[in-house]
Amino acid sequence: MKEYSQDISTLIDNELHDDMVIKHILDDTESQKQFSRYQLIGDVMRDESEGLDLRIDITDSVMAAIVNETQDNKIAPIATPEKAESNVVPFMKRFGQYAIAASVAGVVVVSSLMINQNAATDPSVTPVLNTVPFGGAAAPVSLQATPVQTKSDIKERNEHLEALLKDHQLQLQVQP
Amino acid sequence: MKHRSFLVVLFSVIVFLASPQLFANQEEASQKIITKQVQPSALTYLKKMKQAYKELNYELLYLNTAQNQIEPKQLIHGVLDGQRIAYFCYLNGGIRESLQFDGKISYYQQGNQAYSLVTNRDHSVFANIANFDFDSGNKNYEYLILGKSRIAGKRAIAIRMTSKDMYRYSYIIWLDLGSYLPLRLETINKSNLILEQTMVVSLNVTESINPWIKRMSDQKAPDVLHLPKTTVKDVAPWELTWLPPGFKVIKDDQHKLMVHDTDPISYIMLNDGIVSVSIYISTKMTNLTKQQNIIQRGGTLLYTKQQENVEVNVIGEIPLITAEKIASSIKAVK
Repeated sequence: MKEYSQDISTLIDNELHDDMVIKHILDDTESQKQFSRYQLIGDVMRDESEGLDLRIDITDSVMAAIVNETQDNKIAPIATPEKAESNVVPFMKRFGQYAIAASVAGVVVVSSLMINQNAATDPSVTPVLNTVPFGGAAAPVSLQATPVQTKSDIKERNEHLEALLKDHQLQLQVQP
Repeated sequence: MKHRSFLVVLFSVIVFLASPQLFANQEEASQKIITKQVQPSALTYLKKMKQAYKELNYELLYLNTAQNQIEPKQLIHGVLDGQRIAYFCYLNGGIRESLQFDGKISYYQQGNQAYSLVTNRDHSVFANIANFDFDSGNKNYEYLILGKSRIAGKRAIAIRMTSKDMYRYSYIIWLDLGSYLPLRLETINKSNLILEQTMVVSLNVTESINPWIKRMSDQKAPDVLHLPKTTVKDVAPWELTWLPPGFKVIKDDQHKLMVHDTDPISYIMLNDGIVSVSIYISTKMTNLTKQQNIIQRGGTLLYTKQQENVEVNVIGEIPLITAEKIASSIKAVK
C-alpha cells in the first residue's frame, strides 16, 4: 500500500497517467480511503473545507476495541486499586478545572503563599519581601522567633489558605 | 465759586453716566477670567473615562507591579453591535488567556481544559475603577486633579481618588487626554505608599473592532462550569455587627471549598463598588502562630483571626485595620 502513496499524490496533482496504477488504486479500498484523506487535507490547506468539523472522533473505534478485548481469566481481577481510582478521578478533575480559575484570575494566590512558605522555613532571607509597612511602620509579617509549629502544621495551614484564596478568586469571578 | 460747583456737578454726572459701562466692563472681564480658568472637573474626567472604557475599541499592553514582581499583560477590547468583547492574556510564561463576551467569561490555559463561568461583571484590568459609580462614590472618595504628565507616549492627566476614611485605599488614575482611557493606576495606602501599580506601556485606539477578537466571539465558548450549589442551612450562623462605610453585604452563604472535600464554610462577601472582600468563618481551627496571621501581597490582604473557637479569614484589597474590625465584629446569630 505504501508504494501507492506517491502515486495517489501524483494522481491528485493530475500528473498520473499510468492506467494500471489508477486501476489498482480504484480497486483497493485502502487506497480509496487514502485518496479521500489526501483530498480532505488539500481542501483544508486551501481553506475550502467550508467549516468542516475536523475533530476526528475515535470514540467508536476505542469502544469497539474495548468490547473486543477478551478478559484474561488467568489473572485475578484487582478490586482495590479500581475503587481507589474511581475516587481519585472526580477529585482530580475538579481540582484541575478549578486550578485554572485561580491561576488566570490571579497569580496572587501562588506567589503570596510561596513567599510566606519560604519565610517560614528560612527567616533570614525573606522578611523584607514579606514586609509591608502599615501606617508607616514596618511590621515583620512572618518572622518566627519561636518555632512552635511543625512543618506539617505549616503545610496544612498553607493549603488551607491557598484553598481560601482560590475560592476568593472564584467568588470574585462569579460575584453578582 | 459758581464756576467750580458747576464743574463738580458736571464731573459727577459724567461719572454717573459712565459707571454702568464701567461695571459692565468689569463683569465681562471677570467672566473672561472664569472661562479661561474653567477646566473640566475631576469628576467629569472620571465619567469620560468610564464611558471610553466601555465604548471604544482599543488594545492595551500593560504591566502589573506588586512587591518586586512585574507581570506584562495584554487587553484587547472591542464593541460589536453594542456588545463588549474583552480578550485578556498573560504575555510571559505559560499561555493563560480569557475572553469575556455575552455574559460569559472563558478561561484557556495550556495543558488544562478550557471552561467558562457565567458573569455579568467586567473583569478586565481597570474595570473595578472604570465602572465605579463616581457620582455616589463621592460619599467615600474625594476627587482631585493632580496635574498633567506623559504616560505611554500620551498626554495624560492624573486624578487622585482620596478615601475620606481610613478603611479603604486611595487611588491615583492617569487618563489619556485624547481618548480618556485609563493609562495608569496606583493603589496607595494612607501613608501614600504605593501598594500596587498598573501601567499601560502601549495604547492603540482603533475606529473598528479588532478582527481577531471579532472572530473569537464567533467561536463556541467552552462549557460553562457550574459551581457546587451553596447550601443554606437552617442555622444562618454569623452576622457582621460592623461594616466599613460604603460597603454592603452582597453574598451570604455556605459553600464547600473546591480543593478539598471539606465541610461547607460560612461565607460573606462585601463590596463598596471598587473592592470586594471575602470573609470565611469556620469552627475548624488551624494551628498558627501570631506572626502568621497577616499575609499581604500588593493591595491584597489575607488576615486571620481566631476567637472563641472560631477562625475568621478576611481576604480583600483593604487596609489591615478594616480587616481587623470586620473580623472582630463577627457574631453568632442568636
